[in-house]
Amino acid sequence: MPALNYVGISVPRKDAVEKVTGGAKFLEDLYIGPMLYARIKKSTVAHGRIKRIDTSKAEKHPGVKAVVTGREFPNKVGLYLIDRTFFAVGKVRYWGEPVAAVAAVSEKSAAEAVELIEVEYEELPAVFDPREALQKEAPLVHEHLETYERVPVFYPTPGTNISNHFKLRKGDTEKGFAEADLILEREYHVPQMQHVTIETHKAAALWSHDGKLTVWSTAQSPSIVRQLLAKSLDLPLGRVRVISNYIGGGFGGKAGATMEGLVIPLAQKCPGYVVRIVFTREEDVQGTFTRQALYARLKTGVRKDGRITALQYEMIWDGGAYTEYGVNIVRAAGYSSTGAYDIPNVKTDSYCVYTNNPVGGPVRGFGMCEMQWGIERQIDEIARELKMDPLQLRLINGMKEGSRTASGQAVAHVAFDQCLQTVAEAIQWGRKEGRYRGKGIAGLVKAPAQPSNAASSAIIRINEDGTVHVLMGATEMGQGMLTAISQIAAEALNIPVEKIEIRVPDTDFSPYEWQSVGSRTTYTCGKAVQMAARDVLEQIYRLASLELGKPAGEMKLDNDTVYWLKDKSKQVPLKKLADSYKKDTGEGVSGPIIGRGSYVPTKMSNLDPETGQGNPGLFYCFGATAAEVEVDPETGTVKILQLAASIDAGQAVNPQLCRVQVHGGTIMGLSTALYEEIQLDRGRVLNPNFTDYKIPTIANTPPISSFILETAEADGPYGLRGIGEQPMISVAPAIANAVADAVGIDPRTFPLTPERVYKAIKEKEAGTHSIPG
Amino acid sequence: MPSFAYRKCTNLAEAFKLLKEDDRAVPLAGGTDLTVGIRGGKFRVGALIDIKDIPELNILLADRDGITIGAAVSLNRIISFGPIRENVPILAEACHCIGTYSVRNRATLSGNICNASPAADAAPPLYCLEARVNIAGPRKKRTVSIEAFFTGPGQTVLQQGELVTSVLIPRPYPAGKGVYLKGSRTGSVDLATVGVAVQRRGNEVRIALGAVAPTPVRAGSVENAVNKNGETDWAAAARLVRDDISPITDLRGSREYRYHLAEVLVRRGLEQVMEG
Amino acid sequence: MSKNVTINFSVNGERETRVVEADLSLLTFIREQLNLTGTKEGCAVGECGACIVLLDGNPANSCLVLAAELDGKELLTIEGLARNGELDRVQKAFIDHAAFQCGYCTPGMIMSARALLERNPSPTDADIDEALSGNLCRCGAYQEIREAVKSCSRHNGEGRIE
Ligand SMILES: Cc1cc2nc3c(=O)[nH]c(=O)nc-3n(C[C@@H](O)[C@@H](O)[C@H](O)COP(=O)(O)OP(=O)(O)OC[C@H]3O[C@@H](n4cnc5c(N)ncnc54)[C@H](O)[C@@H]3O)c2cc1C
Ligand code: FES
Ligand code: FES
Repeated sequence: MPALNYVGISVPRKDAVEKVTGGAKFLEDLYIGPMLYARIKKSTVAHGRIKRIDTSKAEKHPGVKAVVTGREFPNKVGLYLIDRTFFAVGKVRYWGEPVAAVAAVSEKSAAEAVELIEVEYEELPAVFDPREALQKEAPLVHEHLETYERVPVFYPTPGTNISNHFKLRKGDTEKGFAEADLILEREYHVPQMQHVTIETHKAAALWSHDGKLTVWSTAQSPSIVRQLLAKSLDLPLGRVRVISNYIGGGFGGKAGATMEGLVIPLAQKCPGYVVRIVFTREEDVQGTFTRQALYARLKTGVRKDGRITALQYEMIWDGGAYTEYGVNIVRAAGYSSTGAYDIPNVKTDSYCVYTNNPVGGPVRGFGMCEMQWGIERQIDEIARELKMDPLQLRLINGMKEGSRTASGQAVAHVAFDQCLQTVAEAIQWGRKEGRYRGKGIAGLVKAPAQPSNAASSAIIRINEDGTVHVLMGATEMGQGMLTAISQIAAEALNIPVEKIEIRVPDTDFSPYEWQSVGSRTTYTCGKAVQMAARDVLEQIYRLASLELGKPAGEMKLDNDTVYWLKDKSKQVPLKKLADSYKKDTGEGVSGPIIGRGSYVPTKMSNLDPETGQGNPGLFYCFGATAAEVEVDPETGTVKILQLAASIDAGQAVNPQLCRVQVHGGTIMGLSTALYEEIQLDRGRVLNPNFTDYKIPTIANTPPISSFILETAEADGPYGLRGIGEQPMISVAPAIANAVADAVGIDPRTFPLTPERVYKAIKEKEAGTHSIPG
Repeated sequence: MPSFAYRKCTNLAEAFKLLKEDDRAVPLAGGTDLTVGIRGGKFRVGALIDIKDIPELNILLADRDGITIGAAVSLNRIISFGPIRENVPILAEACHCIGTYSVRNRATLSGNICNASPAADAAPPLYCLEARVNIAGPRKKRTVSIEAFFTGPGQTVLQQGELVTSVLIPRPYPAGKGVYLKGSRTGSVDLATVGVAVQRRGNEVRIALGAVAPTPVRAGSVENAVNKNGETDWAAAARLVRDDISPITDLRGSREYRYHLAEVLVRRGLEQVMEG
Repeated sequence: MSKNVTINFSVNGERETRVVEADLSLLTFIREQLNLTGTKEGCAVGECGACIVLLDGNPANSCLVLAAELDGKELLTIEGLARNGELDRVQKAFIDHAAFQCGYCTPGMIMSARALLERNPSPTDADIDEALSGNLCRCGAYQEIREAVKSCSRHNGEGRIE
């Protein structure tokens, strides 16, 4: 590949100065116009029929401009399975579900008015454990599942709480188990967690007098929000405009359409006002997507030489009260269910199950952290049984060039073994350091989970002076989209990054972008930008050819000048061509230069409904984590001494930002391993703020060494692949494996709180080991 | 309409007058418990009487009687006060593990005890140091021992209209080492699952615990075993702490784990202060 | 007793007098009445540090302080750091080390770091950890933050001390 000038360089973030000066505008920092403040009335039962809602007192409260309930807005909304309404209609399905909302002239007035809304419920039997929800006699969370519209790759079972049953059958598991010398069967569990982005969810809506809707949202995906809202409200897309400003962290929690729907009905009642809602931290934790809990059962067959012959994987996911998005996590985990390993015979059943718990949804990793937890733990358990080095066992079974995933897709450009070995070396794998110290390793793989036709597009405008504007629909939530895309545009055009401008998206001006999720945007938007740049260059070279009288195919743009490849002295300034190029005689030749790029993956396909076989992955990104820990066996406290993370980025667009992302993902993984868990009491979150929902501080952060491998992805722009979610995936199992190594317990759930670890050590001493679920 | 009134006082008499005027008026020190409690609906107040600018309450001094810590003195000032670091480092250590640096910039010791959380980190060392709480009301002043001060979760001997003016760490200061051991979920900015203060005084030891009973408690049984019966098997002594505490299960830990952790931390505390 | 309070204070070097409602938090006052929106809310209970500003040079969680308590104080917010278009050295260090991603925690983080360097010009790693452990960064830029602050230390060759 030719040397790169702008890709692979650590230029400063495009948003850096704004972000360190307090100048970066997040949604709540905008003064958009005459404003009304919205507050929601939330259900106080987890499952109940709404017998009565009386809003009359609230309506009369001073300052109140509008009150709405679900009765007035029964329209459904959803990404994959359309099962959700803005406000509860008829019944509530989870604690904290919005049942009504108020818009008032001040936050205070809105908050007071909400208290005046009276709601009476008839409590219904509720279900909080997805395993119970699968039982015949379990209460139904959704009685009319068969009537829900859905994307046809999801398979709900009407009359049950199953909103999606994903099936995968590869090879012959019976034969595989027959070949095995050892069969291990275990259950694993992953609890609910929250993204707890430091910026909570926020939205604002303006219904103009001419019937246009503008929505400002902390959404990761303005195009999807626009599409889902327009459909739900039965509006033409052109009348809906969605703007995402800087976003204070996403991690999947702000994907899809989340809470925008709450302010729209209010805005419709108050034309001309901007109606804004800002979730409190407590509302955010209770009322926005959580990571779905997982109850997993893995049965693995392995030969004495370490080769895994068969895997049977059953996953029961706690989808919560609505699974419009969750059904796809269950699917993605299903079709990836061998993790980073090449297993010939696989049988997987992955169930998305409704319960009366908070709504499940996407979280960094999109099911991979949860699904690979069981895989990576079980490999260590097998290694111990076989008296084999867990690293060795991983190397034997790890995917290699040409290996096939669970869904039968061949993987290419794979350096998984190198990912594993790098981190192992970094922590001096194999050297025992002390009595209560231990080392652990885990691998990871992830592909973006997206529809096979999830598209990206880009427009490049060459300004009259030769500087550049890139228009994109991707969002900036910290991942560095603005910077990475600018670098790709700079590379594609051969114009310095400083001359490239790009803004956060506004669907009225930015071209379509499916979603900024799944570690896909740098790849897919990068493709679109490359295409747009090619389009621009063609136009520029055509004009240069007219100007210089040489063939267009022999032109080259370098920053502000186009020159003839054969004689550099024959050149023309870009700005001459870009400023509505005219002949010397004054006759106009060409208007402004605008390039377009429009990308859709062409090699992905739907999966066979019975076997789950097919090509669901745009690319597969591999990596690994190794951890060294020290356990205080008396208190159960786990201290992380060091962490090493590797990721095969294909090509790091900006090595510095890539590293920050790897560190950030590793810390989030550490956080889930040790601290994070939503504690629920009959569907109610008991720890809705940082007082008891703990995430690490800087003082909890051990030294992390990171290794960025660059095994180029042939189809990726400049060989890159996405790495946003990946660094988190293998952290919890690596830490748990290290804890297992240190004190001989077998964590089957996390977080590994001091109390949990202590109890497991006790149980092990008493002969009943393993961390209970 | 604001839900409460605010008044900054510059002398005690004014504060007493204002506290009397409205029976829903409460003193405001650092506000790190009060503002959180008001937001969460735990406190409903009519007025906040800001006592931080009252000169008497800003006293921090060491004299013949001991160390007087005025009610408006921030935890960070306490932590860096020489006489405290030299004579009663256990107090600095415990104050240091309260909240975050910025919280400690405003939070006060008096606020910590007046809020009377069973998990208040400053309380166990104050028990070990036999601190005295100086209280003043519109008419009279009184002094109570720190142990008499707490009456239940969120409850103290304070009457409406009374203020804590200062806390006294009396002389003689303990000759011997003291440690505050805090067990928590993250080990950084977290409330105590169990807090244990162990202070040696010559050949004797004083032990107090937080987060294991409705109020902070002295480990009388352990102290007895060590001080009276000459127990030097620290593990055996520590086991007795189970008789002194009555923990509950909550988000930060189960009752059983708290029993266990209390025992471990008491033993470690004994090892650290009684040996060497 | 009055529910409105007159306060005299300075904000980023400018003297001001305002009348505020007694129950208004300093955070809301800064954001909505002084229109300095760089200071953020992340939890409203003192845990996240996104709202940290300096009061008389000391970091304070503005969500735990009343606007009324601002009387007689000097307030410094993130907007007050850059002088005449020149970034403060901590701001520069944060850029050089890419010590943030989404940037939501950044204003509070920088204010805490600034105050640390004022009181302790050569902080150790442990000093940095203790001073910044009241600032949560969900993006997890902690390692870079630590490096950024260290680079401002007087004992560090990279340090740019004015
Ligand atoms: C993020 C965070 C973390 C925390 N972590 C910890 C922790 O780890 N350990 C811990 O122990 N605490 C912790 N706390 C609570 C701790 O900050 C408080 O207990 C603090 O010490 C209270 O002091 P204050 O001055 O802020 O009290 P305020 O909030 O001002 O007052 C607290 C109560 O005491 C009353 N009061 C205050 N002063 C007086 C007085 N002189 N006379 C009579 N009544 C008075 C008030 O009316 C109020 O009821 C934390 C708080 C926060 C916000
Ligand atoms: S908003 Fe003040 S500390 Fe979180
Ligand atoms: S940079 Fe996103 S929270 Fe710190």
